[in-house]
Amino acid sequence: MAETATIPRPRREGRIRKLLERYPFLPALVIVAALLALNGFFSPASLSYRALTGLLSTYMALILLSIAQTYVVYAGDIDLSAGAILSLVNVAIIVLMERWGGGAGAVLLALAIGLLLGLACGLVNGLVVAALRLQAIVATFATSIFFTGLALYILPVAGTPAPAIFWRTYGGRLFGVPFVFYVLAALIVLITVMSRTRLVTQLLAVGDDQQAAYQSGLPVIPVRIKGYVLCGLFSALAAFCITGDTASGDPLVGGKMTLYSVAAVVLGGSALSGGWGTVVGSLLGALTIGLINSVVFFMGTPSEWQNFVQGLAILVVLMAGVLAGRRARP
Amino acid sequence: MSKLKLNGVSKAYGATLALRRGDLEVMSGEVHVLMGSNGSGKSTLCKIIAGAVRPDAGKILIDDTPVTITGPRSARAQGIGIFYQELSLAAHRTVEENISLAALPVKSGVFVDRTALKERAARYILLFENVAGEGFSADALVGNLRPDQRQLVEIMKALASEAPLLIFDEPTSALDRAQVDRFFEILRDLKSRGRGIIFISHRMDEIKAIGDRVTIIRDGETIATLNLAETDAATVIRLMVGGAGDMPASQSSAPAAVDGKDGAALTVRGLSGRGFRNVSFEVARGEILGFGGLHGQGQSALLRAIFGAGSITAGEVLIGESRFDASSPRDAIRRGCAYVSGDRGRDGVISGRPIIENVTPIHYLRHRLMIARPRKLRDKVTPALESMHTKFASLFHPISSLSGGNQQKVIIARWLIDRPDVLLLDDPTKGIDLSAKADLFTLIRQLAAQGLGIVLYSSEDAELLGNANRILVFNGGSVTRELTGADRTRYNLYQAAYEAA
Amino acid sequence: MSQVVSRFLSFIRQPIIAALVLIVLLLYLGQMLSPGFASGGQILRLLIVASLLGIIAAGQNVVILGGREGIDLSVGGVVSLSAIIAGNVMNGADSGILPAIAACLAAGGFFGLLNGLGVTLLRIPPLVMTLGMLGVLQGLLVVIRMGIPSGQAAPALSRFVTQPLAFGIPGIIWLWIAIGVLMALMLNRTVFGHRIYAIGSNEHAAYMAGVPVRLIRIALFMLSGMFAAIAGLCLLGYSGTSFANVGEQYMLPSIIAVVFGGTSLAGGKGGYTGTMAGAVLLVILQSILTTINIDESGRQMVFGATLLLLMMFYGRGRAMRA
Repeated sequence: MAETATIPRPRREGRIRKLLERYPFLPALVIVAALLALNGFFSPASLSYRALTGLLSTYMALILLSIAQTYVVYAGDIDLSAGAILSLVNVAIIVLMERWGGGAGAVLLALAIGLLLGLACGLVNGLVVAALRLQAIVATFATSIFFTGLALYILPVAGTPAPAIFWRTYGGRLFGVPFVFYVLAALIVLITVMSRTRLVTQLLAVGDDQQAAYQSGLPVIPVRIKGYVLCGLFSALAAFCITGDTASGDPLVGGKMTLYSVAAVVLGGSALSGGWGTVVGSLLGALTIGLINSVVFFMGTPSEWQNFVQGLAILVVLMAGVLAGRRARP
Repeated sequence: MSKLKLNGVSKAYGATLALRRGDLEVMSGEVHVLMGSNGSGKSTLCKIIAGAVRPDAGKILIDDTPVTITGPRSARAQGIGIFYQELSLAAHRTVEENISLAALPVKSGVFVDRTALKERAARYILLFENVAGEGFSADALVGNLRPDQRQLVEIMKALASEAPLLIFDEPTSALDRAQVDRFFEILRDLKSRGRGIIFISHRMDEIKAIGDRVTIIRDGETIATLNLAETDAATVIRLMVGGAGDMPASQSSAPAAVDGKDGAALTVRGLSGRGFRNVSFEVARGEILGFGGLHGQGQSALLRAIFGAGSITAGEVLIGESRFDASSPRDAIRRGCAYVSGDRGRDGVISGRPIIENVTPIHYLRHRLMIARPRKLRDKVTPALESMHTKFASLFHPISSLSGGNQQKVIIARWLIDRPDVLLLDDPTKGIDLSAKADLFTLIRQLAAQGLGIVLYSSEDAELLGNANRILVFNGGSVTRELTGADRTRYNLYQAAYEAA
Repeated sequence: MSQVVSRFLSFIRQPIIAALVLIVLLLYLGQMLSPGFASGGQILRLLIVASLLGIIAAGQNVVILGGREGIDLSVGGVVSLSAIIAGNVMNGADSGILPAIAACLAAGGFFGLLNGLGVTLLRIPPLVMTLGMLGVLQGLLVVIRMGIPSGQAAPALSRFVTQPLAFGIPGIIWLWIAIGVLMALMLNRTVFGHRIYAIGSNEHAAYMAGVPVRLIRIALFMLSGMFAAIAGLCLLGYSGTSFANVGEQYMLPSIIAVVFGGTSLAGGKGGYTGTMAGAVLLVILQSILTTINIDESGRQMVFGATLLLLMMFYGRGRAMRA
């Protein structure tokens, strides 16, 4: 067998590695569990049904935005306009719902238009980045300015309230169970379904090695565009949640959330370079950010130190996420 | 009947002409071998057929109909499947996903049809049953596989295209004998079913075993197409290297041995590391020690490790009398060791930067300079470049404006401003033209005459035979034979490279 | 004739030339829209703002040149932090300027060092590392702000930034010009500069040629922090007092200025002279939009669309099919 050209490199085996490879979001899950335990330790009340419901309904928008970001990161791209899309859809549906009288039909129609708007924004990003080959970071920053301008045009100042039917549903209960849990359940079904699509496999293959994917005959440009469209759609869904949570329109609400969505993706063990990651990880990553904020609060950190401790904790888990993610990857 | 025909296809990358005039005709039901030395344009030709490279000129005919191939997808649609030499696999995807990557089976329009995916993968994995090796399974991640197993996945991926015309660009370089045998059975079967197959390999025995006809490419030009049954290895090699290459060692001016009275320049004792084990040798001052053997038998890994860029697990290295275990290339350079890689794109060229910046880094390091004064350095740089007849417009032109051979001369020149004691050459002539090679070897001999200890690994036997005083033949990471004096013949080298096979 | 045209086109496609041409066109346009836009005093005011952005972009520029997806998102945080530190150290007194400069440079260098260590030793992607560091810095700002008053710029510093220093030109613009000259010298005439380009264009080849890749990359992040610190100091002088997160608005524009200046985000290609032109271009563009009589929303949309248009002009990636 001397013809074997290279001596086979020793294979890194081990059960933990196998497990990580199969479930790359495990470190994120451990972190979430640990943070929950810490929360419970500092303030048992923070683990109450009510408190968790509150946490979920506050962070559901970030969860969805992080999932949105994940689909473009899969392909090795990034979307710095996700937060701006969220803002735009937020003000658009608020204004439409108000203009159409705030009835159930108006709400549903406005939501449909919100989805279309998200799709259109995603399409613009996809065309600009994949078809015109502009650098994703700067190009989506430029589109984010444009989308923000559009949001300001629709609603110059924050404030218009959402119709009662909308935020009461989001913040209320259905058959005794808080509505956000239905949202979460629907979301889990949705991302499970999504994970089986051909598109997700293609996005991951493109992110793995774009040139190889192209040479293999994958339609790389359409695939990347579809990734951005997915991102736009999920950003619109995130906008629905933020509208339900804040019950009002704010043309700048999403600006700060974009970088958090990127952080959540990394926390979830996905590689920013593409080709490796899970949506569930990003969901957990977004929860991690929420739980860190709540732990820092319940720990009794002096209020002026809270942001710093949060920032530091997020930096540390970000680094841990990158290191753990690297161990898991082949 | 003619499955594929290429007429006068050419391709240039900037100043580098990768393919000057490619002509090729492949019939249905034949295995058509492409031969040519490294960098002769075979891979470029294949990529043009597969749509991955846009040709500058020329015609492509499939089934005698002129076609336009707009990209890899269009090539697939027109019945072309390809095995890429550098592989086109997604490392984080499973074997089964990779096999069907270009055309993932779908159900309900959007979902991956896992059942169909598994069935299809099973079909191609079955072809290599019992030879694929441990750990190979449909759901293994490609990144976790051994190099030979990855190569099998790329083969399966090409086969899964079920294309009437299949291109295999060096598909066997990492495979073992059993895997190659199985692969050839499959190729024979495909041939009998009327497929046209383009096959590239550097191993003469394989070519004899599977090929029907051979087209020889030299310096980007199609030289000839021969019937393999009516020709012999010597003819093919002569055509490949253009007549001059088959020079026997006895005619070369390389002395049989160097007396070594000036002492050893480089001593390696029992060195082991990733890719090589228990290697010992000595290079005398003024000696050119050749490394031979098939590609990837540990020669490069060893040279890199000596230079401080690879792993060493045991053994010692001495330069002159003193212990030299370089912890990094920086360390190695400071202590008078030089390394030139044939993979200049990866290891050598600082692309997009001026020639002056490509030629000075070693000088800066060895003299611990802080300020770059290009005009003052000109006096030092120019003789180094001119000693190899490097052609350049000015020192401030980007290195990418030069041809491959001249780029390599610039990379070598960076080591000549301040003489090193030891020069490690890792297949330095890969992909450069003949005149550049000649300039290079003239220089290397001069350097040896000046007392440098030189190690030369070359994938081309003629270079070793013509220049090395001694040749160590590598096989499976160890030295299996030493050829000195009159033993240095093409036959011995060839035999030693293959002997354990 | 067509050769002349094509030569002209390739000349004008050089990023720095394109930026300069656009600057002149925009000034002309501004003058048309609002007479006095291109007056000397107004141009100086624009250049003061541009120099703030440009000094931050200098650090961003070297980090990006160093390659491996180099980017520094933490510059905004360092700018704000430095403005606060400077305000407190000098607290309205000229004698505090030198200690303030030292303190700001130390702080900027320290956070740059942390970024550099994370990026090189732990191999955290720069985007992630500096994004996390941005969060830490923002938190630190809150801590400092709660504990101490925001402080005042020393009069001499304010004069330096806003009043003419020599030949009718404010000191900050002279400083920027000096930084421009020093950057050009560093990038083109020092071994360090050549090594930046080397690691940016082919890190492995640079390593094989003995370039201390990690040390250089750490130095680049430290430089970036220190440039941001200088900009924070100047920003304090510009506004007299520091306020929350003044630096954040400069973070992404500093990247855009670098891109418009012709530096590739992939690293190894570009320089600072172009970035200076890019910074001026961005500031003029924003300024024109504020003179046009449209509301904020329209301004943002036009700004975003113009940025995209300009990016299409240069800075496009390579096609997959060679």
